[in-house]
Amino acid sequence: MPSKTVVADESISSDFQTMKQAVIAIFPLSLAVVPWGILCGSLAITVGLTPLQAQLMSLLIFAGAAQLAALSMMGAVGSLSSMFSSTFVISSRHLLYSAVFREHVRNSSFGLRCSIAFFLTDEMFAVTCAYIVRNKRFSPVYALSSGITFYVIWNISTFAGIVAGQHIPNLEHLGLEFAIAATFIAIVIPLVKNRSTLVSVVTSGLSAIILSVFMAEYALIAATFIGMVCGYLTKDKESINE
Amino acid sequence: MNDFWIALAGMAGITFSCRYLFFSNTVSFKLGPKVSRLLSYTAPSVMTAMWVPIVFLGHQDSGGDFITSPFLIAGVATLIFSLLIKNTLAVVIFGMSIFALLQVIF
Repeated sequence: MPSKTVVADESISSDFQTMKQAVIAIFPLSLAVVPWGILCGSLAITVGLTPLQAQLMSLLIFAGAAQLAALSMMGAVGSLSSMFSSTFVISSRHLLYSAVFREHVRNSSFGLRCSIAFFLTDEMFAVTCAYIVRNKRFSPVYALSSGITFYVIWNISTFAGIVAGQHIPNLEHLGLEFAIAATFIAIVIPLVKNRSTLVSVVTSGLSAIILSVFMAEYALIAATFIGMVCGYLTKDKESINE
Repeated sequence: MNDFWIALAGMAGITFSCRYLFFSNTVSFKLGPKVSRLLSYTAPSVMTAMWVPIVFLGHQDSGGDFITSPFLIAGVATLIFSLLIKNTLAVVIFGMSIFALLQVIF
């Protein structure tokens, strides 16, 4: 049945094209988190985790901001409850991504849904949404390929950080944490497109400084929450006109 | 860190649950427009709450002055550059370079 083989070949090669597009789209975003992964790996060693524990954080949790927040708590005053609550607040934005993809994956198998959920990050969401806008359809192959590419680069950079953390003493004094600041500035500033987002960013920033003076452990969660509520309560011009 | 394995399991569980929740067939409710709007401010708020203390309080750990702090100067430079250029990677590389340069100078 030659015709059947041709059809199969075509669908395989179109999947391959989709994979290639996904890898190319997510690659620059993956490179931007390399310093951040290095920081996660080296910081984990600095706060006293073993290399295996440090790598497992990136392999299983796979959430840069949550990992860094938890590591800075392990190094200081952190309790399990403060770690879990900050993880939840930081990860709660993924609820939104999950809700957006819901209609696209609802009829997929349990395994596929779990895989897409596991690899769902800010970066994967961003490129997959762009794909949906361009092609007017969701592609599990695209979502997984971009997600897995990001996962691999994230774990390689964590590994590099673990190695560096073991061999270069006082790596944290090199100011690697500035990499977090630079990355977040670069991501956040383009997101500020309306007044409510501006209000949310300014109030959360100011609260973070003020709160860190007298309640270091919960400053991040409290500041995030204040920023979210202030942004929510601010009316944008479009909604005033309605 | 004695509780590491509990922390690891808990955090992995929490991050996965947030990503999977609405993929589940047993969850039938949808996010209302109000909740969606509230959650849309999470990413900018949480990231700002993390970078602002690094930039404005980073001098405290190194014991330097506020005004000459590499964290402050490089942070403000990155902020200005991010307003001019929309390429994330270019902004990060620029910010890190300024910071590294300042570390050498001071």
